[in-house]
Amino acid sequence: MNIEVRLHGTLIAARPGLRAGDPFTVTIRDGASVASLAAELSLAPADIHLAIVNGRVVYDRDVPLATGDRVGLFPPVGGG
Amino acid sequence: MERILRVNMTSRTAAFEPMPEAYRNRAGRWLTSSIVHDEVPPTCHPLGPNNKVVFSPGIVTGTASPTSSRISVGGKSPLTGGIKESNAGTGWGRRLARLGIRAIVVEGQPKEKGFWLLKVNARGAELEPADAWTGKRLSEIYPALLTRFGGKEKVNVCAIGVAGEFRMAAAGICFNDQEGRPSRYAGRGGLGAVLGSKGLKAIVVDDSGAKEIPLADKAQFDQGRKKLGAALGAHAITKPKGALNSYGTAVLVNILNEAGGLPTHNFREGRFEGAAKIAGEAIFAGNKERTGAEVYNHACSPGCVIRCSNTWHRSNGSEHTSCIEYESDWAFGANCGIDDLDQIAELNLLCNDYGLDTIETGGTLAVAADGGLWRFGDGKRAIELLHEIGQGTPLGRILGNGAVVTGRAFGVTRVPHVKGQNMPAYEPRAVKGIGMTYAVSTMGADHTSGYTIAPEILGVSGKLDPLNPDKADLARNFQYATAFIDSTGHCLFIAFAILDIASGFEGTVEECNGVLGTKWTMDDVARIGKEVLDLERDFNRKAGFTALDDRLPEFMRTEPLPPHDTVWDIADREIDRVFAS
Repeated sequence: MNIEVRLHGTLIAARPGLRAGDPFTVTIRDGASVASLAAELSLAPADIHLAIVNGRVVYDRDVPLATGDRVGLFPPVGGG
Repeated sequence: MERILRVNMTSRTAAFEPMPEAYRNRAGRWLTSSIVHDEVPPTCHPLGPNNKVVFSPGIVTGTASPTSSRISVGGKSPLTGGIKESNAGTGWGRRLARLGIRAIVVEGQPKEKGFWLLKVNARGAELEPADAWTGKRLSEIYPALLTRFGGKEKVNVCAIGVAGEFRMAAAGICFNDQEGRPSRYAGRGGLGAVLGSKGLKAIVVDDSGAKEIPLADKAQFDQGRKKLGAALGAHAITKPKGALNSYGTAVLVNILNEAGGLPTHNFREGRFEGAAKIAGEAIFAGNKERTGAEVYNHACSPGCVIRCSNTWHRSNGSEHTSCIEYESDWAFGANCGIDDLDQIAELNLLCNDYGLDTIETGGTLAVAADGGLWRFGDGKRAIELLHEIGQGTPLGRILGNGAVVTGRAFGVTRVPHVKGQNMPAYEPRAVKGIGMTYAVSTMGADHTSGYTIAPEILGVSGKLDPLNPDKADLARNFQYATAFIDSTGHCLFIAFAILDIASGFEGTVEECNGVLGTKWTMDDVARIGKEVLDLERDFNRKAGFTALDDRLPEFMRTEPLPPHDTVWDIADREIDRVFAS
């Protein structure tokens, strides 16, 4: 299945040449989770603070994704 | 000796008074709101002689405590008609604290036309004519003012820009940062107009010869500051080269965009197509490309270890502006449909130079776009409109008085405000707890009243669903904790660390005990916060506010917000429950 991915903050280092927040497509096995997507992108689980899937903040990394999902991965961020 | 400096602008005299016993442990927001509550008639005209502007550094401001140089400014707001507390990070309040001045109270109003400047130093305080400093951009007069009074190492300047001179309700009060830039604002609520109405153009504070701040219990203070410092140094958001130091507050653009809570085109959508182009990461990458080096952020004030203030550089590598905060980036960016950082930087610079709150100004421009004055996304035209404000043209006078006045002038019904203050950069329909906070805040729509975004979006100090409407307790508790932090003189950003690391919070209380000789525990945090809020709510009640003012605008109840297609669906009784107990 295809997942529309955006990496943010320091995580963008995993995709040199891309700007944080720019979308790219990752093809992964059906039913893969956020954790497997992170592994596919060679991101260490500890580096990911949260995932936003289709606009919803997801803390459980093992929830299966569906094809076409929009996934944003974030390190810890703050501001105000 | 702790003193209050009272400045009477009718007689143009300045005199010191001892701290009243009733205010013994109060400082920062606790003191500014106390004095406004006790001395300002709630029904007075905000720009008349009976309003006052009160400045107070926090409990630990001026000590060796980390990230503690906030100055609280209070008064009755010409924007909301209610009480206002707005605070800024700057060395100005630190110098005031070191001079033993717990508050400056500016009152009265000159019968003559003109502006004056107040000099405060170890010898005393005096006023001098300041007409020569008026009518100019702040980036023009700050270097000259700093030089005239001994340089940025010796003095700090607080001043209003032309917007304050024009008594515009979007006018803030500006303080210089460590490089002397006129960039640190007590921006919200129009307190710059109140200072302007009193003819006070600037206050220059020189702490030469000041003694160290006395500590009632040095061991307790040192223990506290070390615990807080350790928490700030360890937390991923506040540590060196962490999120705030690397990307600044504008790092929030992408996360709010992904969560569907980034107000776009005057609160029409929750996502902005150009978000990635204006986000904190894009600022970092753009600076690197333009300067040839990674530019990490700097501290707005002495002693800050978080260091979140960014700069933006022109294509030739020279500095354009500092600081493009998340709120400013969003206000001129997503909310105005502008995806060009150079144009956003120019709008930010013009606000700093004319003396305007960026949130109210960006919000006003967005309302003006709905009113047909310009097209969303046309940054060039937005810059022209900002110059209209700076020049005080008839159109500029309307825009400079904020989103509500502009909406009324141009027949716009989509005015996202509460109590007359434009909403900041979080969509209440997508993040319900912040909507509750906007609704009930004593300040009008204000995210810094209680930053529920931390648990609702950022996964800090809890993990809550932003769309879940059960947020009354959250909104109350965050406002109490915030009012306490605003009284300590700490930047609210310490909350990211101390809400996750308990020893950091204990340290914050211990530091206060170390300065004051009190025996406060963690339980006193909510008690003090509630006391501050009760004073502010009492003032607003006497100014004529009722529960009906604690409401979000009508269009948010009827227009679904993409991408979640949710409306503001929290019952009024649930809002009224926030402070009912």
